[in-house]
Amino acid sequence: MLLASLQDVTFGYGDVPCLEKANIEVHSGELIAVTGPNGASKSTLLKLAMQLLHPWEGKVTLSPTNTAGNKLVVAYVPQQIAAFNSGFPSQVTEFVRSGLHTQSSNWLRRLTPQAKQAADEAMQSMGVWELRNRRIGELSGGQKQRICIARALAMSPDLFILDEPTTGMDKESRKSFYTLMREQIDRHGKTVLIVTHNLSEMNDMLDRMITLERREEGGWKCCTTTLCSGHFAPAESLH
Amino acid sequence: MLHYDFMQRAFCAGGIIALIASALGVYLLLRRQALMADMLSHVSLAGVAAGAYLRINPSITGFIVAIIGAIAVEYVRKAYKTYSELSVAIIMVGGLSVSIILMTMNKTINKSFSSYLFGSVVAVNQLELTMMLAAALIGALFFFLLRKPLYIISFDEESARTSGIPVQWISVGFSIITGMIVAAAMPIVGVLLVSSLIILPAALSVRIAPSFTSAILVSMGIGLTGTFTGLTASYELSTPPGGTIAFILLLFLVSGLCVRKIILLASKSTSKKMRPEIAVKESRISKNGLSSNLQKIRQR
Repeated sequence: MLLASLQDVTFGYGDVPCLEKANIEVHSGELIAVTGPNGASKSTLLKLAMQLLHPWEGKVTLSPTNTAGNKLVVAYVPQQIAAFNSGFPSQVTEFVRSGLHTQSSNWLRRLTPQAKQAADEAMQSMGVWELRNRRIGELSGGQKQRICIARALAMSPDLFILDEPTTGMDKESRKSFYTLMREQIDRHGKTVLIVTHNLSEMNDMLDRMITLERREEGGWKCCTTTLCSGHFAPAESLH
Repeated sequence: MLHYDFMQRAFCAGGIIALIASALGVYLLLRRQALMADMLSHVSLAGVAAGAYLRINPSITGFIVAIIGAIAVEYVRKAYKTYSELSVAIIMVGGLSVSIILMTMNKTINKSFSSYLFGSVVAVNQLELTMMLAAALIGALFFFLLRKPLYIISFDEESARTSGIPVQWISVGFSIITGMIVAAAMPIVGVLLVSSLIILPAALSVRIAPSFTSAILVSMGIGLTGTFTGLTASYELSTPPGGTIAFILLLFLVSGLCVRKIILLASKSTSKKMRPEIAVKESRISKNGLSSNLQKIRQR
């Protein structure tokens, strides 16, 4: 099922386009990496897909429903979001559980024991269970990043949109995070769109890769989607 | 002191506004809109001047114009997304310039303007008290019903929008509530100090509270204590109530931050005392290790 797509999308800031004629498709059950050099508009591409930004030209589609016909739930973890909110007066548990309150039907309800358990499991799977009573501001950059992902996990979304989520994490944490994301797809049928610079570490996990490259003729960037046979092929062969 | 009718009204009005304004302050601070209260009070002043000029009750016109200004800032904020404080400056200049022009055009009202500029809580009338109560009740209902989405929006608007929260509507509602509370708080501390009642308790609570809910409750506690202490001090020392309340809240903030700093330094020094022992032990081990290794190399 097609969850999100960009068709011939052109977008820019000011008068200068940074993405031209971009075409991508995100199908359910895929792990897709978005990669490219700094300033290649990777985050912009994600924001366009989520309809946070509106394209100059072209069409952006985001499915309103998931494969089961229910409302599509999207969890977005922006780039270094936790670093910008270091002084936020909140406990880790309170923050992770807030992911369960995104639907208006849950605004006035108390969390059920099952929902609380889901949040607890999300904290455990991201290795932040010991930090549950700490204040967000007291945590390190990597720990903050992990609690942001734990909140996304607690939401149990259909589509994860993650912008460099492993920033500040050590190699072991990154590896277990990629494995966790793959499990979310294989076991729970989730979809993951992730901006990353660590392609080599995601070996054997990716389904597809979107590379943002500089166009030779005008200097603008364009999108190329590379289908990975089975899973990820070595990065060198794709360039 | 409380046997005076005007002091009873002052404590009642001060208490109502202190509670709701302090809760609002936490959200404003976390949404990086701390200057919004200041800006809206200046816009509200234009409404007061317009009301006086048009011979309509200035409290009502001030109230309405503050709400209009709050909605306007939400849209100007979007136009200057990267420099959101610019929207505050633009609307503040607009409000202040209009109020100065209207004040000049109607010179007879200049004298009563000092009560709007510096506040006169002891002279709060029944209409103002009713408006304060209405603003506080609507605000309390808004913050209670939408406390969960407001928490998510305060952390990050984009991820809130992506997860399906109607950020646009809640933000507009929040701005309207802000306008109402600012306009209602004006008679207590005045245009020039209205942000003190909103921001100072929140500024301390977000630094000391362990969780979000406690940050709001602590802020409300600080606001209420500061307002009552300020009113009492003002009565005893015959000082202007608005300025006294603001000064007391500032004292609370400074002393609170100092105490926090002292506690942090004390805990740091305790942990430092622990660290050198470990460091020395480690250095000894490594020194011995190094020297024994060097001896071995030399022997070879």
